[in-house]
Amino acid sequence: MQHLDPDRLVLLALSEDQQHSDESEHLAGCAGCRYDLESLREVSEIGAQTQDLRDLPPPPEHLWRAIEAEIAPAAASPGGSAAVTDLAAHRGRAHRRRSRWLAPVLAAAAAAVLAVAGTVVFDRLAGRTGGEQVLARATLAPLETVPAAAGGDVRVLADGQMRVDVRGLPLTTGFHEVWLIDPDDLTKMVAIGNLSGQPDVVLPVPVGTDLNRYRLVDVSDEPHDGDATHSGRSLLRGTLTS
Amino acid sequence: MSSDDELAERLRDGDEKALRTAYDRHGAAVLYLAQRLLGNRADAEDVTQLTFVAAWTGRDTFDPGRGTMLGWLLGIARRKAVDRLRSAARDDRLTETVRAQTAPADETESPERIVDRLVVADELGRLPDEQRRTLELAFYDDLTHPQIAAVTGLPLGTVKSHIRRGMANLRRRWEVDGAAFGSRSVGPSRAL
Repeated sequence: MQHLDPDRLVLLALSEDQQHSDESEHLAGCAGCRYDLESLREVSEIGAQTQDLRDLPPPPEHLWRAIEAEIAPAAASPGGSAAVTDLAAHRGRAHRRRSRWLAPVLAAAAAAVLAVAGTVVFDRLAGRTGGEQVLARATLAPLETVPAAAGGDVRVLADGQMRVDVRGLPLTTGFHEVWLIDPDDLTKMVAIGNLSGQPDVVLPVPVGTDLNRYRLVDVSDEPHDGDATHSGRSLLRGTLTS
Repeated sequence: MSSDDELAERLRDGDEKALRTAYDRHGAAVLYLAQRLLGNRADAEDVTQLTFVAAWTGRDTFDPGRGTMLGWLLGIARRKAVDRLRSAARDDRLTETVRAQTAPADETESPERIVDRLVVADELGRLPDEQRRTLELAFYDDLTHPQIAAVTGLPLGTVKSHIRRGMANLRRRWEVDGAAFGSRSVGPSRAL
């Protein structure tokens, strides 16, 4: 007998018809038809169980706000009161967000990022050719009080240099400084260097800097006050991803 | 409605609005899966949050050629939920309780089965209207082809071809995105 007709297979899968004896005989000897019938049976079984999934309630807005706050810590501060970013307040919120069980999950995620970074390094050592090897990159977005046209891109290259391109930064009487911040503890940061008024600079990342931890790139406006710590006036931020 | 390809492109470019679109489109399914696996709303929301944050961080790893955005997100959510159950087991030494949760007595409610139902439900929603309507009548109302023809006023031949094509679409999607499929033996397949 010939292979089962597609319409026949569907009828059998939906249990709308019984198998004829010649069909049963063919199915017993034909793996292809048997496989098609099994697949269609399973699909119809699954399909019959989908009724309560067709109109799921929309996911809550507060959950989206939590996601948004994590992917762009800089854009998270509600109200947008001032250009001043309160680092301590950020830290408090970051800590509250994390629950006890999260730690191992985050550790696993960090391990995954490390694994990716490791692959990139390995590829480079293995002599893969190509242009510049980018270990990590970030897109810098303006904070709320900074003109929306401001922005930038950051690339961490395999040789440990960080290429920073910025545009549209507000004028300053001081200077623009680049930082790598730990988004889980916003008081922890590494000063990378200043932009010296250039739209495109290459800055060395200190050897040994953990980019999985210090992954939040921050460009701040620093006054000439002799204080080497962050002024609290962040202009652009973005998170490094490998 | 932008395609997965376009959404992936925007995600890769670091467009947060693309993640928002993905959340609007698939957040409900991710939350549903997490809630079914974890059994409570608070943990389910935490896992949903982790899933979308991980999707953002790992947005370069989504390949529209290998599956849909929904399939990718559900895969992440499933791993996050399992991690959550495991770490809960370690922390609280509630292994027995957790085992009871992860191995439900009802076979139809395995994590794989829930993922399968979510992707098939999603595909059903994407089918052309008449294909979808005829399949709904067959699946939910258990109507036969002639009954569907009578209810819809469509010729029997048309009902047949809608159902055959609709089933083929669901099957294709399930084979691409379904969780259980990978464990099945891959056999020869004829196009319907």
